[in-house]
Amino acid sequence: MSDEETSNVDVVEHTTTTISEPEPQPTTTTISEPAEPTTTPPSPPETTTTTTGISEESLSKFQSSIQSLSSIIPSIPPSITFTTTNKNSNHHPALSLLHDPQTSSEISSLLRQPNSGAGDNNLCRWLYDTFQSNDPSLQLVVLRFIPTIAGLYLSRIPLRKPLAGFEAVLLALYAHETTSRAGQPVTVNVPDLSHPSLYHESVAPNKNNATALNLAVISPSLEPHGTVRSTRRARIVGVALELYYSKIHQMPVSSKMEFCEFCKVWAGKEDHDEDETDKTMKKKEGRIPLPWELLQPVMRILGHCMMGCGVKEKELLEAAMGACKSLYGRSLHDINAKGILATESLIRLGKMALESKDIVVVDHTEISISNVISI
Amino acid sequence: MESGEEVFREFSANGIFMKTTEVEAKLDEGNIQEAESSLREGLSLNFEEARALLGKLEYQRGNVEGALRVFDGIDLQTAIQRLQPSIVEKPPSKKGRPRPESQHAVSQHAASLVLEAIYLKAKSLQKLGRLTEAAEECENVLNAVEKIFHQGISDAQVDNRLQDTVSQAVELLPELWMQAGCYNEAISAYRRSLLRHWNLDNDCCTRIQKSFAVFLLYSGVEAGPPSLGVQIDSSYVPKNNLEEAILLLMILMRKVILGKTQWDPSVMDHLTFALSLCNQTFVLAKQFEEIMPGLCPRVDRWNSLALCYSGAGQNKAALNLLRKSLHKHELPNDLMALLLAAKICSEDCYNASEGVEYARRAISNAKGLNEHLKGLSLRMLGLCLGKQAKVASSDFERSRLQSEALKSLDEAIALEPNNSDLVFDLGVQYAEHRNLNAALRFAKQYIDETGGSLLKGWRLLALVLSAQQRFSEAEVVTDAALDETAKWDQGPLLRLKAKLKISRSLPMEAIETYRYLLALVQAQKKSFGPFKVIPQIEDDKVDEYEVWHGLANLYSSLSHWKDAEICLAKARQLKRFSAEALHTEGTMLEGRGDVQDALVSYINALLVEPCYVPCKILIGALMSKMSPKVLPVARSVLSDALRLDPTNRRAWYYLGLVHRDDGRMADATDCFQAASMLEESDPIESFSSLH
Repeated sequence: MSDEETSNVDVVEHTTTTISEPEPQPTTTTISEPAEPTTTPPSPPETTTTTTGISEESLSKFQSSIQSLSSIIPSIPPSITFTTTNKNSNHHPALSLLHDPQTSSEISSLLRQPNSGAGDNNLCRWLYDTFQSNDPSLQLVVLRFIPTIAGLYLSRIPLRKPLAGFEAVLLALYAHETTSRAGQPVTVNVPDLSHPSLYHESVAPNKNNATALNLAVISPSLEPHGTVRSTRRARIVGVALELYYSKIHQMPVSSKMEFCEFCKVWAGKEDHDEDETDKTMKKKEGRIPLPWELLQPVMRILGHCMMGCGVKEKELLEAAMGACKSLYGRSLHDINAKGILATESLIRLGKMALESKDIVVVDHTEISISNVISI
Repeated sequence: MESGEEVFREFSANGIFMKTTEVEAKLDEGNIQEAESSLREGLSLNFEEARALLGKLEYQRGNVEGALRVFDGIDLQTAIQRLQPSIVEKPPSKKGRPRPESQHAVSQHAASLVLEAIYLKAKSLQKLGRLTEAAEECENVLNAVEKIFHQGISDAQVDNRLQDTVSQAVELLPELWMQAGCYNEAISAYRRSLLRHWNLDNDCCTRIQKSFAVFLLYSGVEAGPPSLGVQIDSSYVPKNNLEEAILLLMILMRKVILGKTQWDPSVMDHLTFALSLCNQTFVLAKQFEEIMPGLCPRVDRWNSLALCYSGAGQNKAALNLLRKSLHKHELPNDLMALLLAAKICSEDCYNASEGVEYARRAISNAKGLNEHLKGLSLRMLGLCLGKQAKVASSDFERSRLQSEALKSLDEAIALEPNNSDLVFDLGVQYAEHRNLNAALRFAKQYIDETGGSLLKGWRLLALVLSAQQRFSEAEVVTDAALDETAKWDQGPLLRLKAKLKISRSLPMEAIETYRYLLALVQAQKKSFGPFKVIPQIEDDKVDEYEVWHGLANLYSSLSHWKDAEICLAKARQLKRFSAEALHTEGTMLEGRGDVQDALVSYINALLVEPCYVPCKILIGALMSKMSPKVLPVARSVLSDALRLDPTNRRAWYYLGLVHRDDGRMADATDCFQAASMLEESDPIESFSSLH
């Protein structure tokens, strides 16, 4: 025991340094993904035509962004780089980038490399710069990768890897949200049916003012953060996820699938049929503390994945169901009452949605069919 | 086309029936005109009526393209225009005489015909996947209805058939916009459906409300508040998706209670999801309470209620409900209920033994699919035993409970090596057991595994170090923690730091720290209204009283009586009756030699808080010095203090003095020995403050 007594302060200092100043990491692995043989390296597209829907400025931002991306990912399909010359367009070329499965999966797999979160990582820099361009369509492209970034970031914290690159991206999102909300909290006035409302009349109209309403804080006020302080980490990631949620209907399914995958990792899977050798691995599996400030936005996103698209996206529904089950298990383990209530209800709803495709649902908008056709 | 089946359809109009076979054959040949004219002749219909019938036939036959071709032949817009003046000659006066029935009926008949035709056109387009066009046609139906019936539709004003078409169109329109991916149009269509008078029946209205609520809750498309036009004074207008969704779901629940619609468990599930995300489990509890008996099993309801109350911080209510649901005649082995009950019990010394029972039951039921809850059950057992040890009646009992607690926590961590909460619990448990080296190891491991993201980890480490009398290292840890903490969360750390400074005999620096803490606490009070940042450890917020009191103690220890008095007065303004303040007052009086008044203060403190250990010790100490006659009193007071706080070094020391003065040298030696052993292991703040 005596060796610990002498070394404890050392450990503490170590923890703080890994958080605040990541060690420089050589960037050797950024282009290790083999380029697809079918695609040719893109030539820089020229902008001679102006489109009606999109401003020149936005296009040039897109082009410079695509150019720097092409130095990281050599195999961007020409369909993306060349849509800029397409005249008929309210369709921003960034949206093609957003929905291009090949580029997305290449970026995702680069992000998953062991040292991808370092401060000098090209891809993190690209994501950061692209987000800071303040072009809404380009920002969507960055948001698309938030599930992977947040997922990897939080799971890698105990592994003491350099993470300044991820942190820069997450902080940029946090700062964006802080500015656009002016630091204000997001609140909800939970209705009380004894007051009349838009949709109902109250039997006994209460003369009291609306003070009886329950004010619920969905997301507390935001203070600016220049660095990720470890005790604010969950909050910063949570706010980034809130931003992701606000754009979630524009996100491609693959991004949401990645989110569901990381939910499982965060929850820490409850498998017990492994042998001893796996147990040491399990410790690094990525189970993280899940305080409410993180779990709440996670649940909102999962709610969308499960109920927002319905049975149309069966694959997503099933992935979300799996994630939700893991989080239910985790909420039980944490004996987190709110978490149990939210996950449990969502699982029941998901089950109903999955079963509903097997039974014939009555279509109330169909006319009644009879053999006597009359007017 | 369904040629194989033997379906005999017939037309019916003007009291005449006619087989459809002949007409169908003509349609199949593509001869719409001929089919139309044979209908007009056979049933004496006009052009539009014939077309409408044909369209309906095609639609029913599943030939939606054919139906579209037929409908395209009718100029529906002019038909609508023709309808308007005939019905709306004048806006119906409120309680005026009913207009001549015959004319009314005829017009309605015509309206019904045209509207149904447009509606079927929309349905045909929907089936062909031309969703935007379908939505536009469907919208035409509603626009026409609004033009024809200025005041909205009231009961008994329209015939069934027309009402059916209207209701169906109202329900279909938002769905079409949704399918077309036009979310903003869908939102206004939903609101139009729900806010205008369409005379919908309850079921239809319920379906629309539910589907809108689901859209608001999960689509991720922010709807924005409804337009000012529909807002009524003094009524509640939702201003964002969550508010609107919750309102609609609550209205749906109310309808179920009033018997207007059927019980739909999914509504409650949606509401549960929405309200728990808003932290409003207390409101949710009210909803669960309102559900009529018989709709859901009572144990489910009790358990859900318990979760709601526990989520709202009302653990007592939650525990009472769990006791009901865990009764042997209900579901005594429900794991969730057992674990929640055990957790609530583990937070209170006097419920801990009850919690031990729940945890044991949970362990024996954590089998099969629930095997993964075994570690958690063991953890709860450990926590409850540890808490029970605090109120143990004897030393023997206490150490037995403590080692059992450690044993089950050890078993738990063997099952769940990656559970950082367990690491923390073990740290605290070992610290309370005064196994400081083990506690230190777990404290460090906890900070590593959580990446230092939780304040309580930093505090545990600093307290363990302080218990080892390694104050300067504890301060390094506290400073590191301060670096990782945003300003508003720093209170408990600053308080710790001030105390560490005092322990290191750096009173001036301690005063400086207190001053900073005071500024923080006062700024915090001012800057946040109801929306304050929720601190990580909610119970552990430093309040202004504590700071003044800490300063008073500090000045008093320095014999700066004036300053101490000022600070104490400030503290008392914030909290009039407190044992701590009386304690400080007593020590100040004692310090100035006023022993009688000091004793009075200490006794008053005990009147405020009968179990306040520090004053018991001081009373014992004062009495032991007074006269040999009161030594037995001193002894009993000190023994009582030790019963409450068996690891209190000062209590052991003074008890030793009493024994010595009474001539019981062996007892005195034991006491002194205990005191000296404990001296090495007092933390600067109690370990139990960590939970």
